[in-house]
Amino acid sequence: MDTKLVAALRAVVGERGLIDDPTRLLPYESDGLAMLAVRPPLVLLPRTTAEVARCMQLLAEYGVSIVARGAGTGLAGGATPVADGVVLSTARMRDVLEVNVEDRFARVQAGVVNVDLSGLCQAHGLAYAPDPSSQMACTIGGNVANNSGGPHCFKYGATTRHILGLVIVTHDGEILDLSEPVVDPDGYDLVGLFVGSEGTFGVATEVTVRLVPAAPVVEVQLAIFADLDAACDSVSEIIKQRLEPSALEILDKLTIEAVEDSVFAAGYPREAEAVLLIEVEGVETEVNGIAREIRTILEARGALEIRTARDATQRKKLWAGRKGAFGAMGRIAPDLYVADAVVPRTKLRDLVRRTIEICRERDLRLANVFHAGDGNLHPNICYDRRDPDEVRRVLAAGHAILEACVEAGGALTGEHGVGLEKLAEMELLFTADDLAAMCRVREAWDPERRLNPGKLLPMHACLEIRTAALPPAPTSLDT
Amino acid sequence: MTLPDAKSLVDYAKSLDCIHCGLCLQSCPTFRLTGAESSSPRGRIHLMRAIGEERVEPNAAYGEELEFCLLCRHCESVCPAGVRFGPMMESARASYESVRPSGFLRRQLRSFGFRRLLPGRIALRLFGSFLRAVQVLGLDRIAFLVLGERGRDLVHLPRIAPLSARRLLPETIEAKVENGQEAAVGFLEGCVMPELFPHVNRAAANSLAALGARVHTPRGIVCCGSLHAHNGDLEGARMLARKLIEGFEPIKGGDGEAAPIVIHSAGCGAHMRELFELFEADDPWHARATAFAARVTDFTQYVAPLLAARTDVELDEGALEGPVTWDDPCHLCHAQGVREEPRDILARLVPNRRVELEGSENCCGSAGIYSLLRPADSRAVFEPKRAALERSGARTLVTANPGCQLQWQTGLRRAGSSVRVLHLAELVERALSRARSGRAGQQGHSAQQDA
Repeated sequence: MDTKLVAALRAVVGERGLIDDPTRLLPYESDGLAMLAVRPPLVLLPRTTAEVARCMQLLAEYGVSIVARGAGTGLAGGATPVADGVVLSTARMRDVLEVNVEDRFARVQAGVVNVDLSGLCQAHGLAYAPDPSSQMACTIGGNVANNSGGPHCFKYGATTRHILGLVIVTHDGEILDLSEPVVDPDGYDLVGLFVGSEGTFGVATEVTVRLVPAAPVVEVQLAIFADLDAACDSVSEIIKQRLEPSALEILDKLTIEAVEDSVFAAGYPREAEAVLLIEVEGVETEVNGIAREIRTILEARGALEIRTARDATQRKKLWAGRKGAFGAMGRIAPDLYVADAVVPRTKLRDLVRRTIEICRERDLRLANVFHAGDGNLHPNICYDRRDPDEVRRVLAAGHAILEACVEAGGALTGEHGVGLEKLAEMELLFTADDLAAMCRVREAWDPERRLNPGKLLPMHACLEIRTAALPPAPTSLDT
Repeated sequence: MTLPDAKSLVDYAKSLDCIHCGLCLQSCPTFRLTGAESSSPRGRIHLMRAIGEERVEPNAAYGEELEFCLLCRHCESVCPAGVRFGPMMESARASYESVRPSGFLRRQLRSFGFRRLLPGRIALRLFGSFLRAVQVLGLDRIAFLVLGERGRDLVHLPRIAPLSARRLLPETIEAKVENGQEAAVGFLEGCVMPELFPHVNRAAANSLAALGARVHTPRGIVCCGSLHAHNGDLEGARMLARKLIEGFEPIKGGDGEAAPIVIHSAGCGAHMRELFELFEADDPWHARATAFAARVTDFTQYVAPLLAARTDVELDEGALEGPVTWDDPCHLCHAQGVREEPRDILARLVPNRRVELEGSENCCGSAGIYSLLRPADSRAVFEPKRAALERSGARTLVTANPGCQLQWQTGLRRAGSSVRVLHLAELVERALSRARSGRAGQQGHSAQQDA
């Protein structure tokens, strides 16, 4: 990295806002997808939108790529660095700028942690609905980039439905203020377009989120099953019956065991083949009614036992087990590959079975824990990144699972984003024309392709457009 | 210099337990301070693993990240994979100590501090008297001229009592109640406790006696070695551990069973509960350390059930001003998993006056001798705690670890706050002696029983 550039950046963000020591850079080499690692030459930790803008101007001047990073909990390699670009971390942008209780919105810096935002509104009887499992660490900025989900997105929708406004710093350091807290913006809905763009359109520095009223009554049911099929079928039936709980989550046996061994032990019975976590919320009569109908379905599908929890402590405990599930797998193997695919909810049983077969064929250990209500599968494959053959088998299994899901009419990602992990699979779902169209949108935001290069869209699809429409690319972009 | 085998520099096998999920990030005081991944538990484990894989040298930057850690172990409380960060950090620091370049002065200071001062009662007594002389002569106000930043806090240190008030505990304190059960406990006075907080030691021991236990404080046992283990001197820690084991092994209850060892310093207790970590499994000391560790219990754990059985231990209204709050010592809540008992005790002593402290499980920045070694970082970690205390409206803050108590007292005095800081044992003693005198007054008997 050019020493003049580094000095200029240091002048903007200060000594503590810049990391260029090779040892300290090493922990940035990967995000939650540890199998992909690239040590970046420089990490920036700006504190304000103005600092981000100044950095981006300088980086534009020198033609350097930028990989934005929130907490680095993403599972698709969306924040994996590039060898010749800087990582721009929002970890020091943690200010809450405004909580407007009357108009029910909050304005925060991008590095504010998801769970802190929820905590902030709680006292006012409000909530920020999207609750990814990593919510105790992940940032709102990262949630925006990936259009993150979470158990409660079954009822409330993913992040995009909760973002009212953004302040974005564009590729050349311009500050684009789209933070009007209105539901329907005039002109194109650029905020809607930006959410889920995985750092390829710009860097979001401030986020205005919608707050929803917290439900007066919340009931969590834990249904215990002797087989996974029955749990899947129950979910399909609940959907078919047009019932609307706020969350529907399935955990299989291996997951239950890992969770019960961890600090998040939730009291899931170890002998169960699967448990189904269901949350129902609303006013008393509504909750009673829905819960009763769901119970009927669960019993008909052979649930061995149904436990219910209404007090906050018990509910929290049941959920903590679900949310700690991914990390708890660390007890089984050093690494975990969390696939993320969506299937039609009527086909849950078949596709869950298919994932089990795919992993069995490749001699891999699989744990299934997923947002069943959304048909969002998370096959968790345990592996050890030091074993290259196992890594190959894991990737092959991931590919086969996505192929099966797409074939069944599903999609590639429920909430983790495409990142690096699912680049190849984009072509399973989209034609060359589709991809070319997306590349054109991307180039409107980032004509030099310096924003999170190599992510989200397969490189060659875009390169074809480039060669047709643009002057030759700088060499650094092709490497 | 020939480097030892890279894998022996860190606990490589344990580093593989981390799955890189990042759920620990926000629990870490140094990550919250800097936002830097290398200053987070996940980042530090990443570096340890990289050391083991020879992808990075044990250089100064690595050493700095090890030393920046407060070893508060908050990350262990939130780690779904059950990574035991504390022991990993201790062994990484010890190995780093063996390869780092270390100047003559530093080596001498370490050797004096860890091998002479902390384990030696006479040295500590002299040091206490020296500190008192400094305070009496008012030299603490100009200490910064010699000690720099480190000396600035000296003036906020609690006053050291005269030697007469710093008496050591008698070897045995008889139980103050005859309940026929002949309960006995082992008790540790600690290294700096008799100098800085002699009244807390007495309060804890007297409370135990008042609750029916004969309190044994073995002579010659000074430091438990936790400061050594935390700061890269595992050999020193082992030496002290053996002394500790030998000193406490003979202490038995009336039933002939090994007596519980009741510790009122969370940092010492956490270390003593994991004493076996210091010895390899095939070392005969490992089994003895394991048996020893199983006997260790925290003061609050020992006292809570005994107090729960009584209805006469409420503190008088005038004893404490305003609302009371509890600050969890890290080595109590994170390293020992004790959270309920102190709250139960407070609920009994000051019902209706307890307020929760926001972020009570976050580190206060004391962290053993961290506040001495890295005063600026320690203060930065303390600042949000102070702000939370202010928001809570509490007028009394209660904790159960000498380091935390000192950090709060010094920090609050520096900030000009008048909130009182007390060890939970001080409240327990007060309530028990009130109950005793109340009973004696009401029933007009048992003077000899309570004497």
